Amino acid sequence: MFPAALLALVALIVILGSPGASHAQEDDERTVRARINNRLEGKNEPVDGVTVTISVDDEELASGETDDTGTVEFTVQGRRDYTVTVDTDTLPDGVEIADGDESKVITGASFTSSSKTVAFVTGESLVTETPFLDDLAQRLVTGTRFGLLIAISSVGLSLVFGTTRLTNFAHAEMVTFGGVVAFVFNVTGLSFLGWLPFADEGGRFPLIAATVITVVLGGLFGLALNGSIFGPLRRRGYSLITLMVISVGLSIALKNIFLHRFLSRRRPYADYANQTAIELGPISITRRDLIVTVVSLVVLVAVALALQRTRIGKATRAVSDNAALASATGINSEQIIRIVWFAGGALAALGGVFNGLDEQVSFEMGARLLFVMFAGITLGGLGSAFGALIGGFLVGLFVELATFVVPSELKNAPALIVLILVLLIRPQGILGRAERVG
Amino acid sequence: MNWISIIENTLKALIGVNAVYFALAAIGLNVQFGYTGLLNFGQAAFMACGAYGLGMTAQYFEINMWWGVLIGLGFSLVLALLLGIPTLRLRADYLAIVTIAAAEIIRLVVRSVRFNWLFNGSDGINEFSGPFRDIGNDLIAPQANQYGPSWTVPGIGWTIDVEFTGRQMWTLLVGWALVAVCGVFVFLVMRSPWGRVLKGIREDENAVASLGKNVFGYKMSSLIIGGMIGTFAGMMLALDRGSVQPDNYSRDVTFFILTALVLGGLASVTGSIVGPMVFWAVFQFADVLLREAIGGEAISIGNFRLMDSTQIGPTNQVMIGMLLILLMVYRPQGLFGNRKEMAIDAR
Repeated sequence: MFPAALLALVALIVILGSPGASHAQEDDERTVRARINNRLEGKNEPVDGVTVTISVDDEELASGETDDTGTVEFTVQGRRDYTVTVDTDTLPDGVEIADGDESKVITGASFTSSSKTVAFVTGESLVTETPFLDDLAQRLVTGTRFGLLIAISSVGLSLVFGTTRLTNFAHAEMVTFGGVVAFVFNVTGLSFLGWLPFADEGGRFPLIAATVITVVLGGLFGLALNGSIFGPLRRRGYSLITLMVISVGLSIALKNIFLHRFLSRRRPYADYANQTAIELGPISITRRDLIVTVVSLVVLVAVALALQRTRIGKATRAVSDNAALASATGINSEQIIRIVWFAGGALAALGGVFNGLDEQVSFEMGARLLFVMFAGITLGGLGSAFGALIGGFLVGLFVELATFVVPSELKNAPALIVLILVLLIRPQGILGRAERVG
Repeated sequence: MNWISIIENTLKALIGVNAVYFALAAIGLNVQFGYTGLLNFGQAAFMACGAYGLGMTAQYFEINMWWGVLIGLGFSLVLALLLGIPTLRLRADYLAIVTIAAAEIIRLVVRSVRFNWLFNGSDGINEFSGPFRDIGNDLIAPQANQYGPSWTVPGIGWTIDVEFTGRQMWTLLVGWALVAVCGVFVFLVMRSPWGRVLKGIREDENAVASLGKNVFGYKMSSLIIGGMIGTFAGMMLALDRGSVQPDNYSRDVTFFILTALVLGGLASVTGSIVGPMVFWAVFQFADVLLREAIGGEAISIGNFRLMDSTQIGPTNQVMIGMLLILLMVYRPQGLFGNRKEMAIDAR
């Protein structure tokens, strides 16, 4: 059993190549400008001689003083989340930064061109209030996208729990697998695949083709995990807690394989990186995001229909409901479990690609979503197939709407509140059957 | 290859500060997981409680360090109640999910820019170990001196120094004393009637409940006690570094502590102390060995670049993950555990 699993992991390392080492040049140069204007008493004049620092991941990159146009320029490598901070001690006397915003974050995703300007204002506030309803509409759109992403990614987690009672902590890495593998096919390229249709001679595929390949590989990855580790151990009668701890070990190992091959940088895909937004009334959405949202929705409806209408779907729900009873009616539950791992892995991989489009690819992209997914499937009802869809969507939407009050760096925190409230009030979740869970 | 330095580093890691705080955290986790069957995946959050209790007390109040210890324990009591009340009546996996989520959120909150004014963000709180170090300086070990044995291996003539500075020595003395106290405490408590009920809960919760025991209360007190011992781990780490940094309390730390505990042996006090020691010795050995082997170069097989020095950390952590899997499959009792005690069943 384990020789096979080890072989698969080594194969994974080889397939991933070493994008970290060979693709340093993708981190192209970007310019970040910080400008400070004094708007005290209706004026609007630049403030010079103020120290501004730029940092990324809490590591200071550079600092500089504003010139007589009130501007300081930084050259940075790649699209990352930069924090620009004004040293308030160096401001002229009697001048203060408005709204207390001496520190501003530029997210990697917000670089639409090679440069980005952050404006700081002293004196009166520059913030023009967005009307509440427009703001709400925009957040609903973003929240829908995020909710659909969570729903897609967590179907596998919930179905695996439903059919085998395993809480799989390595599910996060199945999401990361999708993001990273799509990156390998899209950006790194596998030169021995250069002869295939769609590929260029470096073996790079357009993102859509890469996504299709990734989804299939994600399914196979799920199958491999079940076939090499979880399946045999389950049949040998290992307890669920043991399996849970094993999934933790697997999660550590996989996450660090991704880190090992991919290093800790965040990287975008080659296609659809820079998009201009379409304005629809108060809402602005890029074409890419619109397509991602629509595709997610279609996939979700397809999954729901498959569960509701097809024989396999019905059998899956039967096994989730009561495995012994399902077996008694002639359903091959091992077969169903394999299908669930395949489908769950494929959907998680798709979620990973979409997440990579949204927030770039990194070795811990899945780990950051893990407990949002847990909150989603708990809200929907652990093990219930439709529960994962509904719960995931609702939690994603809620998390995005909560950014009204929650700062974006703590964006995922409200998911924990959902999780705790659900467990206090209705531990079986929305769609779970009321049963003794303790 | 410099074998002397490899051996020295390994021996130092065996009894070093990392082993101390891992051992404390593992003793706590052992109370929860090993004896009671509670999967607490947020031990790092309890450690953070201790560290921030000390750090914030030093930062905001001009009061004695001992108040910081109390405040840290208070934090972890609150955390245990917050995590336990919604989950301890439910199946074991709910506690795992909630603790893993809560630990991550706590880390994000304390490192956030929004709460910079309170927790000082990702820089953390620094330079509050002064009073602690002064005690050591006055009491036994002047900080400037070096302490520790030095052996000459007969035959090959290697001189092996396991030396610590006075400051490290003081931390180690206090740390291992704390480990001993906690270890003896847990050992005695688990032999008491109270401890037997905990083991009973691990084996069969319903059976214990049918005897009229308040299962929820027992589980809660186990979570609190284990968490508080973990709190001491955070304090030792903070005192040694002289700083509290949010990223020292990440999810991976909890998982590594779990691995160290399983390595030593669940439901065994000896295991929970020796496990972390062996864990760190092996980890350090692999780290130095790889570093020496690689030197400044990258290891390549043909065109395939296997590893350079930046990839040593991840390589070791892949091995930790594998170790945890292999232990759970082939030797769930670890080094010192009892296989019969490892029949933990989920409920």
